[in-house]
Amino acid sequence: MPAFDCAIVGAGPAGMSAAIELAKRGARIAVLDRGRRAGGQIYRAVTDSPLPDTQVLGSDYTEGAALVAAFEQADATHFTQADVWHVGDDSRILFSRQGETHELHCREIVLCPGAMERPMPIPGWTLPGVMTAGSAQVMLKSDATVAEGAIFAGSGPLLYLIVAQYLRLGVPVAALVDTTPRSNYFDAAPMLPRALRRLPLLKKGLSLLREIRNAGVPFFRGASALQVLGDEHAIGLRFIAGGTSHEIGARTIFLHHGVQPNLNMTRAMDLEHQWNPEQLCWQVKSDAFGQTSVPHVSVAGDGAGIVGADGARAAGRLTALNILHRLGRLPRTDRDNAAAADLGALAAMAPFRAFIDRLYRPTKALRLPNVPTTLVCRCEEQSLAQLRAGFDQGARDPNALKMLTRCGMGPCQGRQCGHVLTELLSDWRGEPAEAVGYYRLRSPQRLLTLDELSRFHAVSAEAAE
Amino acid sequence: MNADVLIIGGGIQGCATAYHLARQGASVVVLEKDYIARHASGVNAGGVRLLGRDMAEVPLSKASMEMWQTLSDDLGQDTGFRRQSMINIALDEADMETLRQRKAMMRCEGYTHERIISRDELREHLPHVNPDCVGGVTSDLDGYAIPYMATNAFRLAAERHGAQIVAGEEVLNLRRVGDSWLAQGTTTRFEADTVVNCAGAWADRIALMIGDNVPLSHAAPMLMITARMPHFAKPVVGAVSRQLSFKQFENGTVLIGGGAKGFADRANNRTRLDYSKLANAARTAVEFFPIMRRSAINRMWAGLEAYMPDNLPVIGPAVNATRAFHAFGFSAHGFQMGPVVGQVMADLVLNGQSSFVLDAFRIDRYDRKVL
Amino acid sequence: MFQSLRNPNDERVQLTVNGELIEAFVGQSVWSVMALNDQSITRRAALSAEARSAYCAMGVCFECMVEIDGFPNQQACLRRVSKGMVVTTQDITEMTEASDACV
Ligand SMILES: Cc1cc2nc3c(=O)[nH]c(=O)nc-3n(C[C@H](O)[C@H](O)[C@H](O)COP(=O)(O)OP(=O)(O)OC[C@H]3O[C@@H](n4cnc5c(N)ncnc54)[C@H](O)[C@@H]3O)c2cc1C
Ligand SMILES: Cc1cc2nc3c(=O)[nH]c(=O)nc-3n(C[C@H](O)[C@H](O)[C@H](O)COP(=O)(O)OP(=O)(O)OC[C@H]3O[C@@H](n4cnc5c(N)ncnc54)[C@H](O)[C@@H]3O)c2cc1C
Ligand code: FES
Repeated sequence: MPAFDCAIVGAGPAGMSAAIELAKRGARIAVLDRGRRAGGQIYRAVTDSPLPDTQVLGSDYTEGAALVAAFEQADATHFTQADVWHVGDDSRILFSRQGETHELHCREIVLCPGAMERPMPIPGWTLPGVMTAGSAQVMLKSDATVAEGAIFAGSGPLLYLIVAQYLRLGVPVAALVDTTPRSNYFDAAPMLPRALRRLPLLKKGLSLLREIRNAGVPFFRGASALQVLGDEHAIGLRFIAGGTSHEIGARTIFLHHGVQPNLNMTRAMDLEHQWNPEQLCWQVKSDAFGQTSVPHVSVAGDGAGIVGADGARAAGRLTALNILHRLGRLPRTDRDNAAAADLGALAAMAPFRAFIDRLYRPTKALRLPNVPTTLVCRCEEQSLAQLRAGFDQGARDPNALKMLTRCGMGPCQGRQCGHVLTELLSDWRGEPAEAVGYYRLRSPQRLLTLDELSRFHAVSAEAAE
Repeated sequence: MNADVLIIGGGIQGCATAYHLARQGASVVVLEKDYIARHASGVNAGGVRLLGRDMAEVPLSKASMEMWQTLSDDLGQDTGFRRQSMINIALDEADMETLRQRKAMMRCEGYTHERIISRDELREHLPHVNPDCVGGVTSDLDGYAIPYMATNAFRLAAERHGAQIVAGEEVLNLRRVGDSWLAQGTTTRFEADTVVNCAGAWADRIALMIGDNVPLSHAAPMLMITARMPHFAKPVVGAVSRQLSFKQFENGTVLIGGGAKGFADRANNRTRLDYSKLANAARTAVEFFPIMRRSAINRMWAGLEAYMPDNLPVIGPAVNATRAFHAFGFSAHGFQMGPVVGQVMADLVLNGQSSFVLDAFRIDRYDRKVL
Repeated sequence: MFQSLRNPNDERVQLTVNGELIEAFVGQSVWSVMALNDQSITRRAALSAEARSAYCAMGVCFECMVEIDGFPNQQACLRRVSKGMVVTTQDITEMTEASDACV
């Protein structure tokens, strides 16, 4: 069966950039994404927005349209609405599309699954009405759906961005509850001089905060001890700020304190991972070209370690250059010459990224649950106290604890509890996260009906074209 | 480190053997290269099945089944065992004929635990079965347990009786020197009077160190588990002539097996799945139980299992060395046998004999008699 | 309260959510339609039977699992509406029994 030279999973900035570069030099490629259009998180629906006017979303968003257009013109087989549920290191990719399973083969694989938001296991975080700030943005971009009178709580640029977008659209916001601790400003200060080389980016961030403040939205800083109020549904948020306890009513509460790589695909492949102590998350081990511990598998973009959209574009192109070299289409010196600009750009971005990471580093009090009854595993409803009991019974490793408590066994397969568990066990054992490790993951990447699985077809590269 | 008995392998056979030995006062060390229940014993389908056993295995399997009924109490630890009965479904008259022949054979041996059921009784126990199915055979004592919990229960009980479990220690070398077995582990040296080989899919390598050759192979049977679905099947389900096997646990999840094999990479402790075969298993399950069409698979995996050419285990003394014993090669149905195998091995080690006839399980049963 | 900023003249389809006939814009996610129509309970938690609702809206939390056209475990945030679709809150706990055998 004719195979593709390369298959790319994920059509965000990383995947699209890789595809454009590969197609430009004649490689036969397949791009798979579960979305109906390319774009990824940041450029979601940028070419077919349901919003009457997309200017309010900002130029970082609208500028994505050019990349999507370039990608759509590139000579690549784009499988839209293709939900990839298995990627094997034997170069087989299985995906589900319109209720059927398809299998395709490829020489090289690039994984660009992007990021997800870091869970915030505060009391009440499983109540209906509690969502992530990213979800507010997804609903806005792809469905033009907004929540009026919501509270936004947490910290980080994405949180401020969505609040500003809401305000520009005239959507009332109940409050912005900022949890960035004062100490982060001191910790990040020494990194400021190097970050200043990216002055425009800094200015952009500051102007967002000014925009929010000027709009008169109640703005609380240094908030801690967050707790969602309500029995059947969220009705408000309680927190401490400025030394006093506050309670604000709202039926929608958006939480956010940063993003982390979407790990399940790279973990299920058993690629080597490492703990990133700055970003406090697991990431795939890879070289400057995104090549992983399995040479024919590369990673790019936020799925490989948080780099942001510009970083993702650069990483995607670099990955493509290396793969072209591996495919015999680009001599090493040409690869290296072509790569110089992006390598330089990534290096130049690093100090700013480091500054932002430090400034908005989520506090431990929000990364880890403090109340014994707070659920860590949402799917199997395992609380902090239940996990501790399992640990005390001798389950000291994520997999042993999973076997004992079912934590991480549910439909999300550890996406929500995995990082929390690594950090909890690291605390309890008094050992670094690296020594604790992570769940052993397997396919499928999402629930798959027997009906879908039983309709099994092979896709050949020729037929696809 | 010294002990009376060194057990190699921390699966259910190793842990059950350790439990029975320690209970009777022997000093026992279990060496496990990964962690307890990491392999077949922790990731199997949990089927506790007497139904359809090979004739040679029936006496052991029957005894084991009796033990399962009270095992959680005996070990002081939940094994997750639930007696739910098991049914093998007959698809057509040919299947029914197979069942009748087996029944005659069973009766000759005096076994009565398998009972043929009619189409009506089948539907009574399994209301969601495809109405085309014509009947089946059932065994009442059968059920399932939770593999990790059961294996761990043996381990904890063994430890309570003083057995030492050493995880992360791989036996790299094993020699008989004078009256002792010397084992070189990854970090430590061990010395014991007696050695028991419970090394699962790696047992042929340990057998070789002991001095016995054995035609063991290994494979990776695959499983898939669904998200919770409404309860629709209490008994464990199999089929007479098709690769169907599933059970619905109390929590509503359904574990689907059927014997399809993936790829076993035992040198690297890894398995790889064959998804087109899993697709076949999905088709079979839906064919027999249309309600399963809408169930959703949450996870797929495979385990490394040891197989003998006749699908019967090796249980008994080494033939080319003294004070060495084997229990391995369970060929995808050894979980149910764990409790009795532990007892048999303890009897062999401590008394030199077992009350069971073990001829069919001799390690040298494949030795060439002529060139 | 969730609100839609879409042009009211955009093309619509009809579907049923928990027995209620609802109009939705073509291409909308099932979750969005539920949220806009005050039907935000997507599922009951499997052990406690507590009400749950969409959390991430991007496919990584599996809190939005609903039953669509008889198929349970469908992620409402990833599925798009279609004409005549039947959506119900998913209520499968450890205690749920299957309804009588269908043929
Ligand atoms: C909710 C959210 C909102 C964000 N909003 C912004 C923003 O407004 N501005 C900003 O600067 N940054 C934003 N970010 C960060 C931004 O996503 C990244 O910096 C950037 O998009 C990374 O690009 P990428 O190509 O690595 O991944 P992504 O853009 O995330 O692309 C990943 C793609 O992979 C697809 N995918 C993943 N898994 C599968 C699978 N199994 N099968 C098929 N397809 C799959 C997804 O559908 C997606 O299209 C956001 C992040 C998140 C999580
Ligand atoms: C997918 C699957 C489904 C199954 N379903 C069922 C079922 O439903 N019912 C049933 O009865 N049976 C079933 N079985 C079979 C059953 O699981 C096995 O027969 C049984 O668990 C074997 O137990 P064991 O202790 O011999 O092997 P294992 O559990 O494999 O234990 C052997 C251990 O020895 C260790 N080891 C190996 N070499 C060394 C060394 N050199 N040093 C130290 N340690 C070493 C290994 O790491 C391993 O942990 C199934 C098996 C599989 C794989
Ligand atoms: S809301 Fe999280 S998966 Fe749909």
